[in-house]
Amino acid sequence: MHDKQFMRETVAEGAKAFKEGRMDRRSFLVLCGMAGIATQSVIAGDAEAAANEIVMWNWGGQSEECHGAAIGDPFTAETGMPLKFDTSGPLQGKIKEMVDSGNVTADVCDADLFDAVALGPSGHLEPIDYDIVSKDRTLPQYALEHGVSIILYGYAFVYDTEAYGDNPPKSWADFFDTAKFPGKRSLYKWANGALEGALLADGVSKDALYPLDMDRALAKIKSIKDDSLYWGSGSEAHSMVVNGEVSMGMVWQNRGRNIENDTDGRYKLVMNEALAMPGAYIVPKGNPAGREAVMKFIATAQGVPSQLTLLDCLGMTPSNPEAFAQIPEDQQPYAITSAMNIDNIVYNDPTWWGENGGDAVNAFLDAIS
Amino acid sequence: MIDGAVSGGLRLKALTKRFGSFTAAESVNLDIRRGEFLTLLGPSGSGKTTLLMMIAGFLDITEGDILLDGMSIAGMPPEKRNFGMVFQGYALFPHMSVRQNIAYPLDVRKRPKAEIEARVDEMLDLVQLQDFGHRLPGQLSGGQQQRVALARALCFAPPVLLLDEPLGALDKKLRVEVQDQLKDIHRRVGTTFIYVTHDQEEALSMSDRIVIMQKGRIEQVGTPEELYQKPRTRFAASFLGKSNFLTKDGALYALRPEKIDIAPKGAGQGPNRVSGTVRAMTYFGSVLKYDVTVPGMDEIEVDADAWRGGAPLAAGAEVDLSWSDAAAVRLERD
Amino acid sequence: MNGSPLRRIGTGWLLVLPFLALVVALFLGPIVNILWLSVTDPEPGLGNYAALVTSDNLVGILWTTIRICVITTAFSVIFGYSIAYAMVHVAQGSRNQMLSLLLVSFWISVLVRTFSWLMLLGRKGLVNETLVNIGIIAEPIEFMRNELGVLIGMVHYMIPYAVLPLLAVMQNIDGRVLSASRSLGATGQQTFWRVYLPLTRPGLVAASLLVFILSLGFYVTPAILGGGKVLMVAEYISVQILVTLRWGTAAMLAALMLFGVLALLFLMSRFMKLSTIFGGAKA
Repeated sequence: MHDKQFMRETVAEGAKAFKEGRMDRRSFLVLCGMAGIATQSVIAGDAEAAANEIVMWNWGGQSEECHGAAIGDPFTAETGMPLKFDTSGPLQGKIKEMVDSGNVTADVCDADLFDAVALGPSGHLEPIDYDIVSKDRTLPQYALEHGVSIILYGYAFVYDTEAYGDNPPKSWADFFDTAKFPGKRSLYKWANGALEGALLADGVSKDALYPLDMDRALAKIKSIKDDSLYWGSGSEAHSMVVNGEVSMGMVWQNRGRNIENDTDGRYKLVMNEALAMPGAYIVPKGNPAGREAVMKFIATAQGVPSQLTLLDCLGMTPSNPEAFAQIPEDQQPYAITSAMNIDNIVYNDPTWWGENGGDAVNAFLDAIS
Repeated sequence: MIDGAVSGGLRLKALTKRFGSFTAAESVNLDIRRGEFLTLLGPSGSGKTTLLMMIAGFLDITEGDILLDGMSIAGMPPEKRNFGMVFQGYALFPHMSVRQNIAYPLDVRKRPKAEIEARVDEMLDLVQLQDFGHRLPGQLSGGQQQRVALARALCFAPPVLLLDEPLGALDKKLRVEVQDQLKDIHRRVGTTFIYVTHDQEEALSMSDRIVIMQKGRIEQVGTPEELYQKPRTRFAASFLGKSNFLTKDGALYALRPEKIDIAPKGAGQGPNRVSGTVRAMTYFGSVLKYDVTVPGMDEIEVDADAWRGGAPLAAGAEVDLSWSDAAAVRLERD
Repeated sequence: MNGSPLRRIGTGWLLVLPFLALVVALFLGPIVNILWLSVTDPEPGLGNYAALVTSDNLVGILWTTIRICVITTAFSVIFGYSIAYAMVHVAQGSRNQMLSLLLVSFWISVLVRTFSWLMLLGRKGLVNETLVNIGIIAEPIEFMRNELGVLIGMVHYMIPYAVLPLLAVMQNIDGRVLSASRSLGATGQQTFWRVYLPLTRPGLVAASLLVFILSLGFYVTPAILGGGKVLMVAEYISVQILVTLRWGTAAMLAALMLFGVLALLFLMSRFMKLSTIFGGAKA
């Protein structure tokens, strides 16, 4: 039953893994090609959670070695508890199902902070213990009751330098202006980031974004619908750009570097008005390792060495302000919280998304289909 | 009288069919007369069906020609030849009613509806299936299906009707009944019938002429009586009816079992006489069949009239066998 | 005299009973669960079903799904018919080769096919690049990332499913019936339309049903080849379960699909015996 479900969701999950840059294109294609075989090996990697170990529920690919090196190794050195992985991808629906069924097999989920808002109040998550986890080692607005941001990723866009060489687009307003910047666009299919970009383009100020004016945002989205493609996975976003299907593409910012390399610099990343998304760790209610152990694990992940290893390994930007100044030179143009970008970014509001995300996604899907 | 064929004379000229190195029909020459009932008779693999399929147009001709009323039809597609055909297993259209089946040849010729209806009624009368027009073939008995196939093949008044073992699927009793109907219909429509069978009784009882075939060649052609009374080869004599074979002065003779008189030893008369012992006697009601061992000869089979022949002779009885000169037919070849 | 066969049947049933119960439980359990969910989440009542009338969104998705499935079915069955026809009429050796190719295609994952189509027919794909380079067209043709792309991908995926039932039916057609038609004066074309096609009708119905029902569950191909603009029910259900947590809506749509398919099968059974369609005993 498990592997069948996985088969069906291979794309969605492979895609999500891309989103966080934890699977390169080759391994994704290999996964696609091997279908059944890949499934088996991934299932074999699943771990049964027990009290004396931490099971991390993430998106597979490189994340195993990266999470292992960045957090698992120091955590095991400190506590003696090993880190194991379930790589099937902690989508909201799956977390809810796991807790509802009473068979909780994961201790910590590599999720979004809005998941904490959506699942916390209904009793599906353990509250974060801020005696162990530090509120100072994340951005102040991203330390919530049921989840804490460990890393940041973001929505930015790339453009074709050959199409707009002399007068390149600089903002979401330019992105949505197909008269001044003719050509195809690609946007994220599940509404996130696309709605904010549309409102910024329509003249809403950074500080007045939330609560999102859905009608206004969707009207803007629809205004370029005929010129738009929508992607559901990082691989798709990548291939739409690299294959020249679009002249401007909204992408996950950590893929910007790959895209620039893969197109020999023809496509260029624009970080101005990039939308910062808080990637968070959340804990399913009744996790097998117990609350204290998993909180220690989360605290370890907040440490500066762990934060910098995650940046190096996965391209995820640190949430801990202590790490901002230590972002290496070559990562600075692509990192959200680097000195050169931090003043120009826009912060996502996980509370609004946690409470309104379902309706927003459905309204968005309706608008684009 | 059904308005029937005005043509229907066929001539096969040196007709040959080869499948790779196998020759299914070799240089067959045959004139088929307008309106006759001609039977192609032979064991399976003798080439009779191959011949029929070449006439129908389903098989290409390797060599030779087929003429219909003097015109070559070789290379003409089956639907242009206008020959009716009744297939082994009938090949009725299972999704069409009896009426639709019979009307089919007229339908595809786009004849007026009224004409078609009238003609279908006429054909249903002919095969006595007036009450079955709206049934599907699957709801009919084998004999009824056979009649539908016949009506369908005759509906467009073809000059020639080809029948490929049409009675093969029927049981013995029904077969005799349908044979009579078929003969009757042939008389009424006047179409040339070319009939393929491996059943010698069927061939004898129905045909105007019979073509005996073996190994792709014609063995002998003639009326049933000619073939029975004057077989020219051992194969013809043994395939059509039963025969004893005798050698005399270096020549081979065929001698039908019923032309031999059997009598207790010493009572035999006539110019040709041998003595032997009854090995077995079988009682068939009208006929007593004796297998007689004669020293220096093959076993001889004798059919005696049960009514006139006197008391049956038991196995082991010493007997005299005798026959007239005319009874033994000299064969042209083995 | 009656006792012993009856008892034998009884024993047979007893032997399979545990497995039968298991199958029923494993099969019916989840279905009941879905039905229950569709009338209880988020609150008891028929609210989820009422949304079918009140929500243009849902109606639009259902309409898109049905439209795409019908078109996919039509083209898959037409192409499948031609292929099956060719397979029946070529020499045995070639037929085996064609059958192997057909079966191999079942093994190619839907993702690989989907990306292959993008490489072939995408904006910068082989076909468009070639046509632009030799000057036949100035702008690339939009084969992909729209409904046309979805249809191309789905038809390609579905053709083998259409071929198999058609092949089974065609192989069982008595060649003499077709010869009979020719001998009765029908041309090859007339024979095809009036005899061959009607005789393959059970295969056509089976192939259409199979392709249509399988198409209803399509997810990956529309998601990728549709450029995000072609949203079909299967993908929408998955989003409602995994992302937006509208389990009631998802359950309602799943129940709708289930009963839609059952209704379809029932309708078909009014016209012909299902057992003949799916290759069981002949009528």
